[in-house]
Amino acid sequence: MKEKELIRLAQRGNGEAFGQLVERYKTKVFSLAYGLTRDRAAADDLAQEILVKAYFVLPKFKFRSEFGTWLFRVAVNHIKDYLRKTRRRRQDLPLQNVPEKEVATEDQSYEEGQREERRRALVWGALRRLPQKYRVILTLRDIQGFSYEEIARLLGISMGTVDSRLFRARKMLRERLAEDVEGKGGEHEL
Amino acid sequence: MNCEQAEKFLFLSFDGRLEEEDRALLNDHLESCSLCREKEKDYRQIFSLLRVEAPEPLPYFEQRLLAKLEEKEKSAPAVFSKRWAARAMVVSLAVAILFGIGILFFRPQESLELSQAEILLFRNENPLAEAATILDQKKLEDRNMMLIFVASETRDPARRYKP
Repeated sequence: MKEKELIRLAQRGNGEAFGQLVERYKTKVFSLAYGLTRDRAAADDLAQEILVKAYFVLPKFKFRSEFGTWLFRVAVNHIKDYLRKTRRRRQDLPLQNVPEKEVATEDQSYEEGQREERRRALVWGALRRLPQKYRVILTLRDIQGFSYEEIARLLGISMGTVDSRLFRARKMLRERLAEDVEGKGGEHEL
Repeated sequence: MNCEQAEKFLFLSFDGRLEEEDRALLNDHLESCSLCREKEKDYRQIFSLLRVEAPEPLPYFEQRLLAKLEEKEKSAPAVFSKRWAARAMVVSLAVAILFGIGILFFRPQESLELSQAEILLFRNENPLAEAATILDQKKLEDRNMMLIFVASETRDPARRYKP
């Protein structure tokens, strides 16, 4: 069934149609939440809350944008609220909370693997301490791979703002990382 | 090209948005600037370390979601009925106010009772002829009687003749 039709049915309270939409989008919503929280349980809770919210506000969706864009906008706003509320608590998270790397290459020695884990922990630690707006835009672009146009639509900002904010965010991340590395005596140099 | 400009071009390059002629300028700058070469290396590593595939959601995602939706839907009618009750109150109040205003400004039209002279005028007859007949009565008693009979046709006491 076409997505538009599913949406119309779901808007009228058809649970099965909404279930199909969930099936299509749950991984993307979860992945977005995970990219911003780095916490599987929190991301799972957030993805559930976002989809529940989407179900109840779905009748307000007027097909003026892609459904995915609309859903991700709901998601980004919800996650931003969550990050705002839990900011203080999350800054205290230990670096060990950083997930394991994606793929361990076979020819990578144990020590190399350990070193990369430490680097990854450093990068994510620095990312977590960035101001929220920079952290969000970095996650959307450099982790989730959204295009500039998609980010502009999701965050409701102009392309110029996406450009300048992303520039500032990347620069800031590198600077914070350099401070961290210096603070550790260069032990974890990139 | 200065280092600030080179950094912008670096990002454009990572995003696949750098024009060919600008790429040449960036490469020229990178060849001559060890600081920017270091930056490029750092950024490449940062971006590669950032990219980690998210794990799967926790098990029974759909079932848990369905349970939450059902729970919310059970509580939703109460929320909706509260909202509707509030709306109904506002609408009722507005209707009551409008009704009150209507009563204040609307008065039923009083029944119009025409005098004999008016009836005659509407019939296109001369009311003065009747008046003349009455007034021509020689006897005061007859004239008064005739006036009383004519006046008795109206219900308005103020318009009745009192000799």
